[in-house]
Amino acid sequence: MTQDSRIIAGVYHLSKEFGRHFSLKDVSLQVSNGEIVFLVGPSGAGKSTLLKMIYMDDLPASGQVVVGPYVSSNMKRKTIPDLRRKMGIIFQDFRLLEDRNVFENVALAMKVTGMRMGEIKSRMTEILTRVGLYHKRYEYPRTMSGGEQQRVAIARAVANRPSILLADEPTGNLDPVATKNILELLFKINAGGTAVLMATHDINLVRSFGQRIIYLEAGSIVRDSEKIFVGDIRDRIEKSSVSESAERLAGHEITGEDEE
Amino acid sequence: MKLNEMKYILDESVSMLWRRKAANLISVIIMGLSLLILIVFLMVTLNITGFIDKTSKETRMYVYLNDGVSESDSRDIQLKLLSETGVEEVVFISREEAMEDFRETLGENNELLDALDFNPLPDSYRLKLKEGFVTSAIMKAISERVESWEGIEEVRFGKRWFEKGEKLVRNFFIIDIVLGLIVFLSVVFVISNTVRLTISNSRETIDILKLVGATNKYIEIPFMIEGAMQGVVSSLLAVGLLGVIHWFARGYIQDLVFIRLDAIALFVFLCALLGAVGSFAALRRFLKS
Repeated sequence: MTQDSRIIAGVYHLSKEFGRHFSLKDVSLQVSNGEIVFLVGPSGAGKSTLLKMIYMDDLPASGQVVVGPYVSSNMKRKTIPDLRRKMGIIFQDFRLLEDRNVFENVALAMKVTGMRMGEIKSRMTEILTRVGLYHKRYEYPRTMSGGEQQRVAIARAVANRPSILLADEPTGNLDPVATKNILELLFKINAGGTAVLMATHDINLVRSFGQRIIYLEAGSIVRDSEKIFVGDIRDRIEKSSVSESAERLAGHEITGEDEE
Repeated sequence: MKLNEMKYILDESVSMLWRRKAANLISVIIMGLSLLILIVFLMVTLNITGFIDKTSKETRMYVYLNDGVSESDSRDIQLKLLSETGVEEVVFISREEAMEDFRETLGENNELLDALDFNPLPDSYRLKLKEGFVTSAIMKAISERVESWEGIEEVRFGKRWFEKGEKLVRNFFIIDIVLGLIVFLSVVFVISNTVRLTISNSRETIDILKLVGATNKYIEIPFMIEGAMQGVVSSLLAVGLLGVIHWFARGYIQDLVFIRLDAIALFVFLCALLGAVGSFAALRRFLKS
């Protein structure tokens, strides 16, 4: 299956069931290059399952997932690492290695690709400066706040300059201030050209951004806030510049409500 | 595989060993102690079979001649004894030599013999049997045959003692093999469980490595090296402790034999292999899921 080259990730008629209960039911959506999309829905709606399908940790029972040149139906176990190197993934629980410092955690993503140490070091300076943690590069995750840990996870996720970043409830464990910082950072990364697909249960968190929101309920997409028109994409990238996003954030009251 | 990747994998292996030194130490102690049970058992078996072997090699049969057998008849008897199947060596012991031996055996009490004005001991032949012929059945057959010859008074080989000993050896081997199997299986069980535990404790690390796009090789090799190192260190620990036990036990049992050096090398190698293969097998289950 081939898809429009402007689409970085697409799922088509995706279904997955656990026992008799459908976890995803005929879901189709596409994320274009450079786009930022929020996937909103209550807990158990299938957001995490959908993301798992996109990074191919789980394969669909029926339907198709296409990410760049990778197609779920003829994906081999051996090529999964290649796919993972071309995308970034972050989670609510950060998933950092507790026994390694910031530098080592971020370097891991580059080391597995066989990148030279010199290159790793020079990229590291750039990435850690971008997430504002260069001065903490030798600290260990347990000594850092949740927001800082998530920034380390983001640094690791973008280390290989992925074309898409998947974020599964990335602010779920964070206080309102840290939440605001992480969202700002995600917009900043998106402004650099990386598409972002972020799942959250908190509609209030993302409603005011004016970005595309997809509503997922009981495994089905119930609403997509906008249709994609190819001509719009460039506009949207420009619209979602950092300053504007920050403005929006400032005007938005973050609820900080706990989930689950 | 790129050169850099290989270097990182090795770095990863070394740093993993270092980072998890506490957990590894515990694993190594558990594995080392269970391996110790196995090699103590091996050493005991080795010494007992060695003792049995030595005893059987030192076993002799004695053929006593009648008084007044002529020298030429005696020589014929010697030749006939040599042609018996299983006989390796036939040594003549004259009655004078026998008396001398007897005196020596008696030691201080040999004055008793001075009271005798004649030598009551007969001439005799001492038979040494070939390896594998030292069984009560064969010796009984030989002695019955030889006793029927002209000029033979008696054949002796400590029959009663020997039959008892043989039964004991048979029972020992049965118990030894059964026990050995149980010990061996428990050791394999303990080690494979320890290895599996190590891997499942690293589940998070493995998941994260998969997430950032590490190849299976990148994940597997450090764990296999870790498993092999655990095997080497724990087997050396077991051998070291066995050495201590051996050193103490020699105070009581003088000829206590230690396990041979090449057998130790093989043991260490097999433990390393078991560790590496065990880690690999345990990992495979995770990586497939």
